[in-house]
Amino acid sequence: MSRLSRILTAAAGLILIVMYFSTLWRIDLEAPQYPEGLGLRITLTDVQGADEFDLQKINNLNHYIGMKEIVPEAIPELRIMPWIIAFLIGSALLAAAVGRRRMHTIWLALFLIISVIGLVDFWLWEYDYGHDLNTEKAAIVVPGMAYQPPLIGSKQLLNFKAHSWPGLGGYAAFLSMGLGMLAWGVDWRRGRRAGKSERAGGEGLPAPGNGSMAAALLLAGLSGALLAGCTPEPEPFHFGEDAGAYCRMTIDDERFASQVVMNTGRVYKFDAIECMASWLETEVADETDIHSVWVANMAEPGALLPALSARFVQSDAIRSPMGGGWAAFDSEEAAHDALRLLPARYSAAATEPGGSSEQGQARTRQETYSWLEMRRHVHIH
Amino acid sequence: MKRHTTNRIIAGVAFLLLAGAVATSCRTADQTGGNKSAAEAVYVPPGSYDEYYSFMSGGFSGNLTVYGLPSGRLIKTVPVFSQFAENGWGYDEETKNMLNTSYGNIPWDDAHHPQLSQTNGVPDGRWVFINANNTPRIARIDLTTFETEEIVEIPLSAGNHASPFITENSEYLVSATRFSVPIPQKDVAISTFKENFRGTISFVRADKVGEMDVAFQIMVPGYDYDVSHAGKGPSHGWAFFSTYNVEQANTLKEVNSSQRDKDFIAAVNWKRAEECVADGNYQQWEASYLRNVKNHSGMARTEQLSGSRMIFPSDCEGVIYFLPTPKSPHGVDVDPTGEYIVGGGKLATVLPVHSFTKMLAAIENEAFEGVVDGIPVLEYEAVMAGEVENAGLGPLHTEFDDKGNAYTTAFLSSEVVKWDIETFTVVDRIPVYYSVGHLMVPGGDSRQPTGKYLVALNKITKDRYLPTGPELAHSAQLIDISGDKMEMLLDFPTMGEPHYAQAIAAEVIMDKQVRMYRLEDNEHPYAVTSESETRVERDGKNVHVYMSAIRSHFAPDNIEGIHVGDKVYFHVTNLEQDWDVPHGLAMMGAIASELLIMPGATKTLVWEPLAEGVYPFYCTDFCSALHQEMQGYVRVSAAGANTPLTYHTGE
Repeated sequence: MSRLSRILTAAAGLILIVMYFSTLWRIDLEAPQYPEGLGLRITLTDVQGADEFDLQKINNLNHYIGMKEIVPEAIPELRIMPWIIAFLIGSALLAAAVGRRRMHTIWLALFLIISVIGLVDFWLWEYDYGHDLNTEKAAIVVPGMAYQPPLIGSKQLLNFKAHSWPGLGGYAAFLSMGLGMLAWGVDWRRGRRAGKSERAGGEGLPAPGNGSMAAALLLAGLSGALLAGCTPEPEPFHFGEDAGAYCRMTIDDERFASQVVMNTGRVYKFDAIECMASWLETEVADETDIHSVWVANMAEPGALLPALSARFVQSDAIRSPMGGGWAAFDSEEAAHDALRLLPARYSAAATEPGGSSEQGQARTRQETYSWLEMRRHVHIH
Repeated sequence: MKRHTTNRIIAGVAFLLLAGAVATSCRTADQTGGNKSAAEAVYVPPGSYDEYYSFMSGGFSGNLTVYGLPSGRLIKTVPVFSQFAENGWGYDEETKNMLNTSYGNIPWDDAHHPQLSQTNGVPDGRWVFINANNTPRIARIDLTTFETEEIVEIPLSAGNHASPFITENSEYLVSATRFSVPIPQKDVAISTFKENFRGTISFVRADKVGEMDVAFQIMVPGYDYDVSHAGKGPSHGWAFFSTYNVEQANTLKEVNSSQRDKDFIAAVNWKRAEECVADGNYQQWEASYLRNVKNHSGMARTEQLSGSRMIFPSDCEGVIYFLPTPKSPHGVDVDPTGEYIVGGGKLATVLPVHSFTKMLAAIENEAFEGVVDGIPVLEYEAVMAGEVENAGLGPLHTEFDDKGNAYTTAFLSSEVVKWDIETFTVVDRIPVYYSVGHLMVPGGDSRQPTGKYLVALNKITKDRYLPTGPELAHSAQLIDISGDKMEMLLDFPTMGEPHYAQAIAAEVIMDKQVRMYRLEDNEHPYAVTSESETRVERDGKNVHVYMSAIRSHFAPDNIEGIHVGDKVYFHVTNLEQDWDVPHGLAMMGAIASELLIMPGATKTLVWEPLAEGVYPFYCTDFCSALHQEMQGYVRVSAAGANTPLTYHTGE
């Protein structure tokens, strides 16, 4: 092993120590009645509530649906895990000290296998709690309903929305594995180079740069995958159920639904484009918090367009929920086509929002608007 | 080269950490907020009146609170079943008797459901009634004085929860056993529930002041009878009761009462019951219960009532039917036309709606799936008009508007769901904060609902107001229902635990308000009609002070000749004949509350001095510029001392 890969391997081992002092996985529950939140924190040795009594509260809620009580003392994995991680730390340090590639490879393979087993075991544990319901004793039995939280991501379980994500300890494990793979990659590149240069008969300088390049790419890929798993995205609308974030109207017209996605992933939905624009005007202090803004394509109900690439039109003939008469289309042509189809009595005056129809006066009238122009025109309330 | 590599690694690690940070922060939460423009909708400018009086039950406060809508301003607390030191209710000699029961004088109860009196199915603003859940009683509150004037006990009952829902012309208020018990009471093992425990459904005469009593009772199986509503229009003459625990469990009911797929709504034909009583088809049972009545100036009197006309369904065919209804129904609500009966199955996934017409046909065709204790059980399919899908989790109660819509609360999903009565389809929904129980539309359970406001009465408050330690006010939310979409207007805190509420247009009762009591009508035996009649009389150890209060003095205000061991009765008449000039009386060391005396009324405070000395008394209600001067002294001498009895003012 090269010096670099030995350092990386030692670092990979040492980073795992973080797992003893932090949360491996966190499950957060959201429900109207719990504005303060409820959550579980899974550590190497325990399942705890996010707050002092959360585990107790969650067990009490779960009894209504017949779910087994979560008793950390009765979960054998929590007894074994500290030893497994200790073994991984010790063997990483040993591999780094001895410096033999084969040993390092075995360590990495074990680490990967243990991780996969761990995640599968965790999923099975969630499956068991979510499915093994005592329907005899449960007050609430919804046929066909299971309550398994997701391994990673979010899911609605009756009145609760469950979010499951790694905690610091979980990320430390991923990081450790990344460093372990990086070390392996460095040595692999180096071995191949050495082989090549031997075959070429030259002395050949070791090329750490290339090894680490590959490792960096690997890391970047890994990080990219993680990021891609959680790039803030628009959420699908539940028409007839979602309430608008600003006008508090139920969103049920897919021709005008729109939403703002924040950098945090939080989504604000609106029943009308003009409602969203007003909200942005009055409620958002720092627009750099916004990840993206989406509007419905009136010509293709249900499809969302990035607001920045949409063309907007306004007419009293367009019966938008808040009465502003704004609609969005995916192109200038589509917007013009829509305007042409409006009843004639509207087409003269209504396309100049806020302006009066001065008959006979020759004026160039703008008919479609960009997102930024549209925002300048919106006035409701 | 090496440095270069290290930098890349650092960059890579930083990237990885960044990815982690993004992933952990990447969670969504729905938050809530009202619409700023809603402020205008609820703004009642200073000096202006609200549109509605809203009567909210005080729940475990035992009282009734009155709020103005749409402002959400608390304008009155009416003490009913609980002592209320603020105005002396249940402490002073005049009102103490109102809390008498056959168990003794009880200073508290749990009041759940205000119910306005009705004429032709429309609230008429004469009275509001409310039930006591714990020791079964029903109270009548006069809406010209906002005072409780009558309380009647319900015999042979327990857990008076399905009460006091009223019939269309205020003929009857109903009452039923939420807790089945041995009837009559006897000493049996609790585990003999199925064999010994029974329920009763009672009909209480409501339309004459001072004459509330139990007209008749129906003996029913030992289930938990939960909520009720009377029929209206075509279904007038019927009353409907939701039931749970048809499993007849006597322990861990949260599990054991939730086993069956269907419980029942009991449909009671009270006109048929009247016939059976007239025909003598009932048993005369022993029963002993009290009725307390108070007019504004006199002492509350307690009257002993006895006997019960007990109807057994097997002896009175057609008096009651069971309608199977999914999963422990809570609310049972009848739409304005009287045709639809909505059951809120709190554990059900659909909201079942029964049809009165189909029910009559099912009875006619004997579409029975069984008989329980002489009560035919109708087939679900034969009575069900429709099921509302997706009506929220944990549906509880339904009220109606004037446009053919129904509004149902969902406790678990914490929302109000609006649905079309004809199509049984959900047309709108709005989240409420948090865990809503009852809801109220003014007139929403009558034949003439309004269509402007809806109040959601929420059980959990959490973060809606500034936090106040562990105990938080409950919360009501006002929702605009005038448009197609419901719109949240206002949060306002409520007192005790409001269960149900009712509201009535302000103009129906505001002009009937009594501003003061006329002195000439004062029938109190210890009243004085002028200062010249004030005096102190000794009757053995009892000393009666005939006292007057008028701005800004008491007469007499110096009293001597009271001895340790005496029992002193301060009978204070407020001589004012002016609007909004109550006087109060507080006596140092008196083991009671203050008195609060309305103009023209007389109230009595009892004081038993324990030690010699001179003790002050004073007026507690800031009555005038010289209110602070409105005070006096009582001199207390040792027992057996020969201080003569003297009294005066201004000498």
